[in-house]
Amino acid sequence: MTDTSNISITELSNDLRSAIAKLETTGNLNEVGVVLRVGDGVVWVRGLRNAGYNEVLQIETEEGIVEAFALNLMEDEIGAVLLGEDSKVKAGQTVRLKGSVLSVPVGTELLGRVVDPLGHAIDGGAAIKTKQQGLVEREAIGVMGRKSVHEPLMTGISAIDVMFPIGRGQRELIIGDRQTGKTALAIDTMINQAKQNTGVVNVYVAIGQKRSKIARLVERLKQEGVMEQTIIVATSPADPASLLYLAPYAATAMGEYFRDNSQHALMIYDDLTKHAVAYRQMSLLLRRPPGREAYPGDVFYLHSRLLERSAKLSDDLGAGSLTALPIIETQAGDISAYIPTNVISITDGQIFLETDLFYQGVRPAISAGLSVSRVGGAAQSGAIKSVSGGLKLGLSQFRELASFAQFGSDLDESTKNQIERGQRLTELLKQPQYKPMSIWEQAASILAVTSGYFDGVPADKIKAAQAAMLTRLWADHKKDMETLDTGSKPDDQIKRSDCSRSR
Amino acid sequence: MAKLSRRAIAQYAATQLTKSDERSTFILQLAAYLVTTRRTKELNLIIRDIQFYLSEAGSVSGSITSATELTLETKKAIETYIKQQTGATTVALDSLIDPSVIGGVKVNIPDYELDATVSRSLTVLRTRFKKA
Repeated sequence: MTDTSNISITELSNDLRSAIAKLETTGNLNEVGVVLRVGDGVVWVRGLRNAGYNEVLQIETEEGIVEAFALNLMEDEIGAVLLGEDSKVKAGQTVRLKGSVLSVPVGTELLGRVVDPLGHAIDGGAAIKTKQQGLVEREAIGVMGRKSVHEPLMTGISAIDVMFPIGRGQRELIIGDRQTGKTALAIDTMINQAKQNTGVVNVYVAIGQKRSKIARLVERLKQEGVMEQTIIVATSPADPASLLYLAPYAATAMGEYFRDNSQHALMIYDDLTKHAVAYRQMSLLLRRPPGREAYPGDVFYLHSRLLERSAKLSDDLGAGSLTALPIIETQAGDISAYIPTNVISITDGQIFLETDLFYQGVRPAISAGLSVSRVGGAAQSGAIKSVSGGLKLGLSQFRELASFAQFGSDLDESTKNQIERGQRLTELLKQPQYKPMSIWEQAASILAVTSGYFDGVPADKIKAAQAAMLTRLWADHKKDMETLDTGSKPDDQIKRSDCSRSR
Repeated sequence: MAKLSRRAIAQYAATQLTKSDERSTFILQLAAYLVTTRRTKELNLIIRDIQFYLSEAGSVSGSITSATELTLETKKAIETYIKQQTGATTVALDSLIDPSVIGGVKVNIPDYELDATVSRSLTVLRTRFKKA
């Protein structure tokens, strides 16, 4: 045991007072640097030898303090990217270290709001005050903190839920040319979370999107009643490249709050092509050596460190999840370009949207052959799993056969049947925008077509037949359908009732 | 020959300036080097870096800025404070009068600053209001 008899309270008090006085005085002498050059959103600073990577710098201008973050730490100077207007920053101004890396407000207070990457409200509402801050750059959860992806994240789009199931904690890339319905898929997934009452929080990151498009999106989400469980982090093409670069990281910090609090969040990065372009601009201005397509050498790391933060947490950490749906825009369907191949290799699968299919009226224009979900059946509900076997293969075979049949050659009976069933399936998988389907609707429809109960229905009447069947099923077997909607595997009785309605 | 960094030049210069008996000869050599390597534009920065390395060697030079003339006692107290903080043996501070600081005092030494002026407080306040 420690002997306490020798401790003098007066001495202790004096020692503490002098220590406090010393600490207070040392705090006043700040390390400072000087702005050497500024331009295109990049500032070069002399001094600040103790600056850390990604540390926030404060530049004292006539109009107030402008912040920047250090990215290039070189022997003689620091290259930093401004987080705002560069018009007020001039050479010779004093620069200080903030002593912290970038952080943004996180918490439930952000739900229903549109914010910029620094967490400031841009929806005209009240200023956002949260109890917590989240680090913009944060290390991804380690191996032991994770659990394999096993819970489904229903998108409500039957083509995806049936053929390329997405699990909570998965990273599934949405890739395709411009105007092929990439954002529409993501928005429908967000709407489905509200319609099916899954409790998943949506975080939509608009990277360099037109403000009019963001306004339309917000309006739509409000109409659909999704906005209350959505956070939108928006940047426009007019914003500095630094904000476009920060947007996905800041949004991920906001999503991580829910993941770390045993909840589930869905991140939509729209899109990472623009993000890579913004990073290329910053890197070139920082005089980093350009590589392939003038992107810097660490462009892979740019996206891998971002997407690695999406995870399904272990039970010890609360079993929350962060699912990511990054979007990549291709040029003329070229998925072998630099950024698409990078992101394809990082993610756990991709949904490829084809322009040709889109203009043929197959919407969503999902390519059955080029799309894949590497998590697969592990993240599929029993109801969907029981009806989806062989569907993807059948559909890709049909598309191949259909293109072959265009030449008008004579086809044998079995090929003709396969083509006809494929046509029915294609028709069935067509889905209008903003109309996500529940589990029972998807399971019943797929079961009806794969079991051949729609074989007598012409392809152009399939949607009407499907609607009629679903109405009847809901009216006559509501209880069974509700059971099916919980995701459980359909028993024989449910299958029979489905079949009888189809007939 | 690889380009020498500014920091390396300054470090060498600071060592020579503290050691060398023939300071004027070294200054001439340094000037010749800057002219031949076309780095005269960097002169101001090199001087600042030399100042930094000299301060690390125990000889701090800098300035005190205030709105009005400071008393000798105050100046002395500031010098003692700088000695305590930096561990310097000699401190030489130039006094500057700048009414734009409004009140308080600002001490500049190589790479460090103590800004206890009213103008700085106002800038911080302005930024805080802008953010809110």
